[in-house]
Amino acid sequence: MIDLAQNTLDGLFLGSSYALLALGFTLIFGVLRRVNLSYGPAIMLGCYAATWAHLSFGAGLLALAAIAVLCTTLAGAYVERLCFAPHRQSSAIAAMVASFALWMQLEELATLALPRHIYDFPPLYAGAPLDFWGLSLRVESLVMLGAAIAVCALLWWILYRARFGIAVRAVIDQPNAAQLAGISVPRTFMLTFAMASAIGGLAGFLIAASHEQVTPMLGMWSTLKGLLAMMLGGLGSLPGAVAGGLALGLLEAHSQWFLGPQARDLIAYALLFLLLAARVPWMTTRSAS
Amino acid sequence: MDDYAIGVLTNIGLVSFLALSAYLLLVAGEMSFGQQAFFGVGAYAGGILTAMYGWPLPLAALAAMTLGALAQLLVGLPTLRLRGLYFAMATLASAEMMRILFELLHFQRVVDGDAVGPDGTQGFRGIRWVFEHGVEPIEYLAIVYALLALALAGFLRLERSRLGATLRGVGEDAELAAVLGVDVTRCKLGVAAAAGALAALGGVLFAHHNTYVEPRNFDIMLGVHSLAYALIGGLGTALGPLLGVVLDIGALEGSRVFQGYRMIVFGGLVALLLVWRPRGLLDERTVQWLKQRFS
Repeated sequence: MIDLAQNTLDGLFLGSSYALLALGFTLIFGVLRRVNLSYGPAIMLGCYAATWAHLSFGAGLLALAAIAVLCTTLAGAYVERLCFAPHRQSSAIAAMVASFALWMQLEELATLALPRHIYDFPPLYAGAPLDFWGLSLRVESLVMLGAAIAVCALLWWILYRARFGIAVRAVIDQPNAAQLAGISVPRTFMLTFAMASAIGGLAGFLIAASHEQVTPMLGMWSTLKGLLAMMLGGLGSLPGAVAGGLALGLLEAHSQWFLGPQARDLIAYALLFLLLAARVPWMTTRSAS
Repeated sequence: MDDYAIGVLTNIGLVSFLALSAYLLLVAGEMSFGQQAFFGVGAYAGGILTAMYGWPLPLAALAAMTLGALAQLLVGLPTLRLRGLYFAMATLASAEMMRILFELLHFQRVVDGDAVGPDGTQGFRGIRWVFEHGVEPIEYLAIVYALLALALAGFLRLERSRLGATLRGVGEDAELAAVLGVDVTRCKLGVAAAAGALAALGGVLFAHHNTYVEPRNFDIMLGVHSLAYALIGGLGTALGPLLGVVLDIGALEGSRVFQGYRMIVFGGLVALLLVWRPRGLLDERTVQWLKQRFS
């Protein structure tokens, strides 16, 4: 019983890191209707830049967070300029393949700068886990969950209360009318992309700091987990991204406990496949070409 | 030719089958992230049949192609009605499932005193049919390219036929094709079976060239690469995907000029190329122009 509770708790915390990744992913998809495969590699580049700063100058945690967010945002802006801005009218496949090409580029850039297989990343919180009636609770996990909730709330506020959000939603619904009303569509896309990448950078920093390491797998891992969580929750929906992330985390924690790590991934992909094949309504309502 | 050149050329040939498989689906309007799974099915099935049961390679290749076609039909039946990204994600999920199943597959048999067969993440060693039958690397290269030429001839014939036009029609606008009386589902299932068989053939040849395969060979990187090859080379003709493979593996890996920076150069070039030509170098319009020019 205590194991079950502990696993559920672990799953929720794991899921909140997926939820953070999925929030950035889904923001890009919701606005551009395009999948950015180099979302993860941009995060990896940001985390590698932070690791490099840590190794070179021993920068503190806050500085590392700032560097990770800044570099991920810059990498994201670069991806947007090269892969998405030129393909706004033309095919989605070209944009996706271009973003894959930059994935290779960003990943190689990061591993050229720091070629070892594992680098230590300073821990978010050095103390022991908290203990509640036999359940252990890591402080990092609480921070992660808090960050996921805060980012979701902030995004909601921006999209539904701030002027910029009105512009974003206008561009989603009626790009031509929005343009006529004086909203710059390319600029809105660019800023949304930057915002999504910043969220990704924050997610990456929190993940690196709670795993206390970075590896060259971070890029692909972030893209796959973010994509999986986003798909499970329904494309382009903010609450869906959080729900999808948490569901994926819970599923993984429990299946790993009962069946082992290989079965964990197998079950997650099998679930995605079955839900897609069954065409559950929340997953296939949004048009994606 | 030195061994290195033969190796690079053989690799170009092997990966071309996978790129053609992705291309065929793209022409019919489906983007697959999962062709590597059928490449893997071919590699494992072919290897098991020759190394563990002593089948001759040609027979094993035919069996593996059948299996590849069946596997892709199995994945395609519930998913081909999905559109765009949803289909891509379904194929990605099925391919990752397949890769994990390869990791879980422990199936060995004692042949000549040694245990042979897939050993989970340790991979599958000793697929030595080519070596044992005295096929020289240069001869194997010739076999690979003969088969590739056969596949290409099939493609070029298809593209001149009515069926080829129908497929492109389905790819452009499935609803319109259906209104015109095309059985879209049957068309797509046929394409899926052919794509699965092609990928599996590439896989068989890959396994027997390497003599060793492991689940990691068939990860998502391979699948997205083959998709990229088809798109870089161009969607106008079956020569497009081949051009894509030659550009990447041949010009960059083969030349060894950009050692260490290969992906930085290649990635940037591809992104720029797609800005200039979103449907690849040999896109439909270019192919049309070339045809008018040279016919």
